[in-house]
Parts: sequence; structure tokens; C-alpha cells
Amino acid sequence: MDPITGLMHGFSIALQPQNLMWAFLGTFMGTAIGVLPGIGPALTIALLLPVTVYIEPTAAFIMFAGIFYGAMYGGSTTSILLNTPGESGAMMTALEGNRMARNGRGAAALCTAAIGSFVAGTIGTLGLTFLAPPIAELAFIFKPQDYFALMLLAFLSVSVVMGTSKVRGFVSLFIGLSLGLVGIDKATGQQRLTFGVPDLMDGVEMTVVLVSLFAIGETLYVASRYGMQKPNLNPLAGGIWMTKEDWKRSWKPWLRGTFFGFPIGALPAGGAEIPTFLSYTVERKLTKHPEEFGHGAIEGVAGPEAANNASAAGVLVPLLTLGLPTSATAAIMLAAFQNYGLQPGPLLFINSGDLVWGLIASLYVGNLMLLILNLPLAGLWVRLLFIPRPYLYAGILIFSLVGIWGVSNSWVDLAMMFVVGLMGYAMRVYDFPIAPVLIGLILGPMAEVQMRRALAIGQGDPMVFVSTPLSALLIAIAFFVITVPAVLHWRRTRKIAQSEDISG
Amino acid sequence: MTERPYWIAAGTVGWGAIVLLKAAELPQFDQYAYIGPGFLPSAVGAGLVLLGLMLAVQIRQGVPFEEQEAEDVSETHAVSYKALGFAAAACALPMLTMPKLGFVITCTGCFVLVAAAFKSERWLLNAAIGLAFSATSWWLFRKLGVQLGGFLPLLGV
Repeated sequence: MDPITGLMHGFSIALQPQNLMWAFLGTFMGTAIGVLPGIGPALTIALLLPVTVYIEPTAAFIMFAGIFYGAMYGGSTTSILLNTPGESGAMMTALEGNRMARNGRGAAALCTAAIGSFVAGTIGTLGLTFLAPPIAELAFIFKPQDYFALMLLAFLSVSVVMGTSKVRGFVSLFIGLSLGLVGIDKATGQQRLTFGVPDLMDGVEMTVVLVSLFAIGETLYVASRYGMQKPNLNPLAGGIWMTKEDWKRSWKPWLRGTFFGFPIGALPAGGAEIPTFLSYTVERKLTKHPEEFGHGAIEGVAGPEAANNASAAGVLVPLLTLGLPTSATAAIMLAAFQNYGLQPGPLLFINSGDLVWGLIASLYVGNLMLLILNLPLAGLWVRLLFIPRPYLYAGILIFSLVGIWGVSNSWVDLAMMFVVGLMGYAMRVYDFPIAPVLIGLILGPMAEVQMRRALAIGQGDPMVFVSTPLSALLIAIAFFVITVPAVLHWRRTRKIAQSEDISG
Repeated sequence: MTERPYWIAAGTVGWGAIVLLKAAELPQFDQYAYIGPGFLPSAVGAGLVLLGLMLAVQIRQGVPFEEQEAEDVSETHAVSYKALGFAAAACALPMLTMPKLGFVITCTGCFVLVAAAFKSERWLLNAAIGLAFSATSWWLFRKLGVQLGGFLPLLGV
């Protein structure tokens, strides 16, 4: 199906009343969790996974995509009005956006953020519409060794890029990989790391690990270091909406932000943080009003917000076409696909065309809904922040228990929630990144399958892993991802040591 | 003073060693798939041991461990072990009570404990809110098809 026909078909599905309802529910929840602290899109989708038994897949993914996009919008609202970024991607927005709000220009900041998000989200979705089918076609010629090399690259880059320390990133990744090994080995039927516990034979539940790491770890961490400042709401009243000058200063940053966000979001370990940061830096360099930066420059809101939302669309490209998750949210969406017995990848576009195109079309619809939900109602959303913290976090724990107990009513899952929750707490205290655990847990078993297939094709020759041009290239990139920063670090420390020797 | 959390390195090495030991019980190679069920566990276990040792070296060199930023966290990151204890108790409670006392009572208990961790000690009011919230969640998610067990398993409901 070519993209245009596919998209038209998708709209016929996304515009059905019940699917519109799911899209609305998703965008609504997404905005709410974007505003609230302690709960993000990955966690929300994980908590909703048990519900998927009763909802048909197209409806569920329309809702999930709404949550994913909505969280990006909600995060910007609180950054601007309260200087509390609800999501990591909204950190840069807080810098300039909150200054603008303090200068009485909050409405303009919200406006440029929302419209920028809409523009970027729509362009990003257009990119997804037209890029995904050819990439999916390309994926047909992928051999097992290519997939294995791609996953290897994803492992390494996630561990190197996320967090501050490579060793800690890799510890996280390997913990995830080890958890992914638990259960019956699919190729030989032997039990691995089950310790004789029958509940572990099916493997470790992704939902349990994700909910424990995010919700339980966060609750323990925040409770132990709780110190809430009363939200200091910047009044919106009296602010003016975007002036002609604001429009003129915003549209270029929107487009540049999209240009950063979409491709970086599509890369393994790209995420939303790097493109928002890049966009902010570039706008700061290019602006004609450098004196305003740090005091509320509209470019510093428009660019990062656009980058943030475009990256969300970018993340969906490798997920839908190759089945490769590049962020925690994407990993949990992959788990949702697996719940339905669907494998994202080239075949998804052929076997489940309704679902894929319905999902892509619903992204356009969702973006429009978000613009309508967010622009006039920004002031209302912020009220969510006044929920008393004791009840907010207690409620999060109860929803977590629904998610964990609801999976299989297993005591082992509850014990794992406690242990993994404590691990999530320690990871926050000692600054270990969390996403690599999830990527290792979900991609590890898939990488093993591809590794075995490749070896079977190559009749046991390990050279099979570099036998195609693509796999050789990807393995080479993976090699450089590890070695280049290490060499640079070594040279830098040697220089410092030398200069110390000279001065000493 | 630099904090030296050697226990994390020890834990990583320990878990890696367990994975390695368990993997050693399995065949490493296979006639048809070439890689046996024990091969990857061995590799991952060895990786964990190695990473744990590297972490220990870094800790010895005095690598800083800075706490992650989060919302609602006080600026000084001052730790209240009492609050941490309450929150940990809330997370441990389901292991004890969920199978016997059921979802609603367990969640009410968790609600009160988490609220206490966040310095809200109006026990009765919190219990009432927690009960209402838990019962509503139980009813709502059951409607959606999530199996959460009986309302009060002790009474057979």
C-alpha cells in the first residue's frame, strides 16, 4: 500500500467515533500525566497493559499514542507556568518559558509551545507516514545478522548515551539482560535462572519491572527526600497572546526544532533530551535578540518544544518498521504489541495494515485534539498540581498494584515489585540510568533469537555476524561508539597528567 | 568526604556470580543452533562480574555519585529515614496481605503508609480516603477485565 492510500484508509479507521473517543481519552490522560510529577508516559502505558485484554489492538494503540504525544504537551505547560518540567524533554522549555511567564508573557509562551508542538508533531507524523513504508520495505532484506548488529548497536548506544557514567549505563543494561534471560529457553526448552520457582518459567514480566523501577523507585526516593515548595503559579491574566513579532520569531525555531527532533528521535538512544538541548543551543546562537536569552526569549521556547514533539514521532519510526525500541516508552509499546501477539516490523505493515495506518492517522487527529485541549485550558491543567502529594503518591502506588497484581495474581510479582523497587531507589540515589534496564530486558531475548538464526545460517561460523555490508557497518559503528569516547577520555586525562607533571 | 558505596559493586559482582553459576549447569553449545541455553547467561554473568569490578575500581578512585533530580525533592536532598521506612513498608505490605486479605484492604493499608511517608498523619481520614479509592479502583478495573481477586477473600466475597 502506498503511503497516500494507506493514510486515507487510516483516516477512515481513526475517524470512527469509538476510535476518536480512544484518541481523546489518550490525549486527555497524556496531558494529565505530563503535568503530574512522579508519573510519565512509559509508566502509564505499562499500567494500562492489563486492560489490553479487553480492548482491540487498534483502539489500544490509538490510546497509547495519544498518551505518548499528550505527555509532551503537558510537560511544557508546567515548565512554563511553574518552572517544574513534568517530563525530561521539557527541561529546556522551563529555562526561557518560565522567565516569559514571570514577565507576564506566559500566554505567549504557552501559545508558541502549543503551536510549535502541533507544527512539529504534524511534520514529524508526515515524516513517519512517508518514511516508514520504505524503511519497512528495506527491512525485508534484513538478514538475522543485520538485526543482531542493529540490536547490538542499540544496546551499546543506549548505555553510553544515557546517564553520566558509561560503567553505570552498562551495569543497568546487563541487569536488564540478565532479567531477560529468566524463564524457559525458547530454542531448547530448558529452564534458565528460574531457581525452581514455577512463576518464573514464563520469564520476568516487563510490566512488573517497569512499574517497580519507575513508580515504586520514584515513590521511595521522593518520600525519603520530600520537600515540597508550594506551587508558585504565575498568573496568566493580563498576558497577551502571540503578537505578529512573536510569530515572526517563532516559525523558524519551530522548523529547526523539528529538523533536530525527528531524526535524532529515530536513532537508537536518541530520545528527547538531546534534540531539545541542541535546539536551544542553536536558537541561542542564531537569535537576533541574544540579550533576551536567560530573561525569556520566545525562540528558546519555540525551538525546544518543537524538537521535543518531533522526537516523539521519530521514536515511532524504528519501533513500527524494525521493532526496535529506542526509549522506555517505545520499549513498553513493543511489549504491548507482543501482548497482542503482533511483531512490529515489515510484516506489520502487510498483515495489520488497519492497525498501523489507523495509528498513524490517529496521530494527526491526536495532535489537533491536543492543540484544542491545551491552548484554552492550560490554566485548568495546572490545577492538577495542587493535588496533595500524600494522596498523589499513594494513588500512584495503588495504580501500580493494579498493574502488577492484575498481570497474573502472583505473589512472586509482588516480591519482585519490592526488590526491584528498592533497586530503582538505589539507582536514583547513585545515578544509574533506568532506560537501559528496560531495553536490555525486552531486546535481550530478541537479540538472542537473531543471534541463533544467524549462526544457524552461517553453520556456526562467527564471521557470519559481519558477512553482510550492513551488519559489518553497524558492528563497526557499535565498535566506535564504545572506543572513541574511551580514547578521547584517555587522551584528555593523559594531557592533564602531563601538565601536572610539568607544573609539579 | 567522598561516599564509597562498595556494596553496589559487590552486589553487581554477586548477582553476576549467581548468573554464572546457574549458567554453568546448562549446556553452553548446541548441535543445531550452535549456541546452547547456557551461552548467553554465561556471557551476561561474566559481563556483570567484570562491570562490578570496574565499578569497584571507580569507587576506589573516588568517582562522585550525584543523586538524580526529581520533582518534589527538597533542594538539599536531606534524607528522612523515617519516611523511607514508611514508604518501604507500604511496598512490602502487599507481599504479606494481598493473597489473604485481598486487594482492597491491602491497598487501603498501602495508602495510609504512603500518606504517612509524605507526612500526612491523619490516620483515620487517610484510611477512609484510601478505602474509598481502593474500592473504586477494584470495581472500575474489574469492569475493564483486570483480574484483581475477590473483594474480601476472607469472607469469601
